[in-house]
Amino acid sequence: MSKILININNLDMINEYEKIGITNFLFAIPEFSIGYTKIPIASIPSNAYILINRVLDTESIDKLKRLAPELMRFKGIFFEDVGVFNIFSNTNLELIWYQNHFATNASSINTWLDLGATSAVISNELTQEEIKDIIASSHKPLVFTILGKNQIMYSRRTLLSNFNEYSNLPKNHKMTLKESHTNNTFLALEEKNGTIIYNDEYFNYVKLQQEIPDDKIKFYLVMNLDLRVEQIKDILDGQEFGSSGFLSKKTVYRMSEYNDR
Amino acid sequence: MIDNIELLAPAGTIEKMRFAFHYGADAVYFGGKNYSLRANAKNFDLSEMQEAVLFAHSMNKRVYVTVNIVFHNEDLSGLLEYLQYLSSIKVDAIITSDIAVMNMIREHKIDLEIHISTQASILNYEAALFYKNMGATRVVLAREASKEDIRRIKEETGLEIECFVHGAMCTSISGRCVLSNYCTNRDSNRGGCAQICRWTFDYLDSDKKITDEPFSMTPKDLNMVPLIESMIESGVNSFKIEGRMRSIYYVSTVILIYRRLIDKLKTNTLTKEYQEYALKVLNRVANRDSAPQFFASLPGVNEQYYLGREELSNQDFLGLVLDYQDGVATIEQRNNFKKGDMVQVFGPSHETYTFQIKNIIDESGESIDVARHPQMIIKINCPYEIHKYDMMRIKMFDI
Repeated sequence: MSKILININNLDMINEYEKIGITNFLFAIPEFSIGYTKIPIASIPSNAYILINRVLDTESIDKLKRLAPELMRFKGIFFEDVGVFNIFSNTNLELIWYQNHFATNASSINTWLDLGATSAVISNELTQEEIKDIIASSHKPLVFTILGKNQIMYSRRTLLSNFNEYSNLPKNHKMTLKESHTNNTFLALEEKNGTIIYNDEYFNYVKLQQEIPDDKIKFYLVMNLDLRVEQIKDILDGQEFGSSGFLSKKTVYRMSEYNDR
Repeated sequence: MIDNIELLAPAGTIEKMRFAFHYGADAVYFGGKNYSLRANAKNFDLSEMQEAVLFAHSMNKRVYVTVNIVFHNEDLSGLLEYLQYLSSIKVDAIITSDIAVMNMIREHKIDLEIHISTQASILNYEAALFYKNMGATRVVLAREASKEDIRRIKEETGLEIECFVHGAMCTSISGRCVLSNYCTNRDSNRGGCAQICRWTFDYLDSDKKITDEPFSMTPKDLNMVPLIESMIESGVNSFKIEGRMRSIYYVSTVILIYRRLIDKLKTNTLTKEYQEYALKVLNRVANRDSAPQFFASLPGVNEQYYLGREELSNQDFLGLVLDYQDGVATIEQRNNFKKGDMVQVFGPSHETYTFQIKNIIDESGESIDVARHPQMIIKINCPYEIHKYDMMRIKMFDI
């Protein structure tokens, strides 16, 4: 468990995680994170990582610069917006590139690492061969997400409020969307700064850990929304759970490839 | 500032590029057969790219090539040679969001100007400065950029600013959506997007469907006609039209409307009446409603579609003018029209003319009542002097 990094949705869970050997924590923070429970900065322990996964507008980037001195006590920042890297690149903070869906090739990742990023979170819409290739050729140890619900769409719009208003429905900021043709189900969460849509099923890449050289990994990341600590322990110990995502499912993008499947 | 505004058009094919320039575009963007986000568009092969560059430069216009997929390892093969080729034929810039591409250009000292794609979701000046340090000369801002975002990015970076002003929008921040990957296995960030955000969904609370109304999240198209002047004041250098897969009629109509708006602003002759006319024409040509979206305020319920709607193909485009001599126009038919119809002819060198079709002569010289067949060549009497590549459409509105 020493390389597990997990997001914290409730401060009370820290002790429980520590009891099962997880000691690396990632915290979403007010104003700058989206899609996960935000913890007030003052309550976050200093040996933690901060998640800044919003695409930041000008007002927010100005706020972040004012907040910067308060963030210097943390171990590092997982960032989506490259403006965050620009602000903190000359500090001692570890900066981990976590641009959702973009860390899909070794060259991009290594460019970030060569520019000074401490690590990068590999996209998990990749096959296991692609993931292993990227890890093998990385210039520094990477972060590999092994369990979570993927954030698969991020809109600046308040999509649920808009629809509720149109349909005269009561306010609700957490809904399930079901697509009947493909039978896919998604979880939609709306916040002040936009709407996040998750795949409603957890993906579970835990087994892949055995096939990856340990020295090439900085952290195995768990992005938890609603699992209990005991459930997470069981899954990390090998219990069957969730889906294997794209590990064996290569995406296509030309209609000819699609029709040939 | 206004003298240097660029009108940037989509060019899905060489033909569309020629029409875009003819109707007033200053520059076009297109993709090659690989590495471009419209993987299922026709796109340009290498020799077509060279032809496009030569044609554009002969008119003192510019060409930008999209290299804007999010690359997987397998896609990097051949990229270096491709970038070197684009440099050798002197494209004016590439549009990219992947830092691997920027690094390759830098490492190999390839002479290519870099514009950062809207896929990079730039909304703040620190992000823009990062890309400036990577060698970019221009940033294509996220469609979510507000007036203040644009103003500050311009002020703090001095970079050229390109913004979309017209066309379809993603529901998500561009690049931050892989719904297509999950629903269809088609990779949205490599050009395979199946536009799942235009589908409808059941709307459930705790597994219980709470309305029969299908959940929809489709945005109306972007349309910045009412705010063009304000965009210029904010520091926008290039007005970009979306739509590489749209028809020549669509591209020509939209480009001409924005060309005239910009020119009228330059000469201080823009009127409310023209803006209202422009809005009506643009809504009609797309067959969709449109709205300014994020520039002035956060879009809400009125900037999306909710009722299930069919996008019927637009039948307004009646024909392409091939020739005009002594009051007789030669037309290549595109949609049915008949004697007695009121039509309009528009083109870049004159205002839009409205007249009634009094006669139709087919290729064998016979008088006919209806032009029924696509691409049939006919002649009509036209009381106004019109020109090759003008377009004839159904009369939409009084002008």
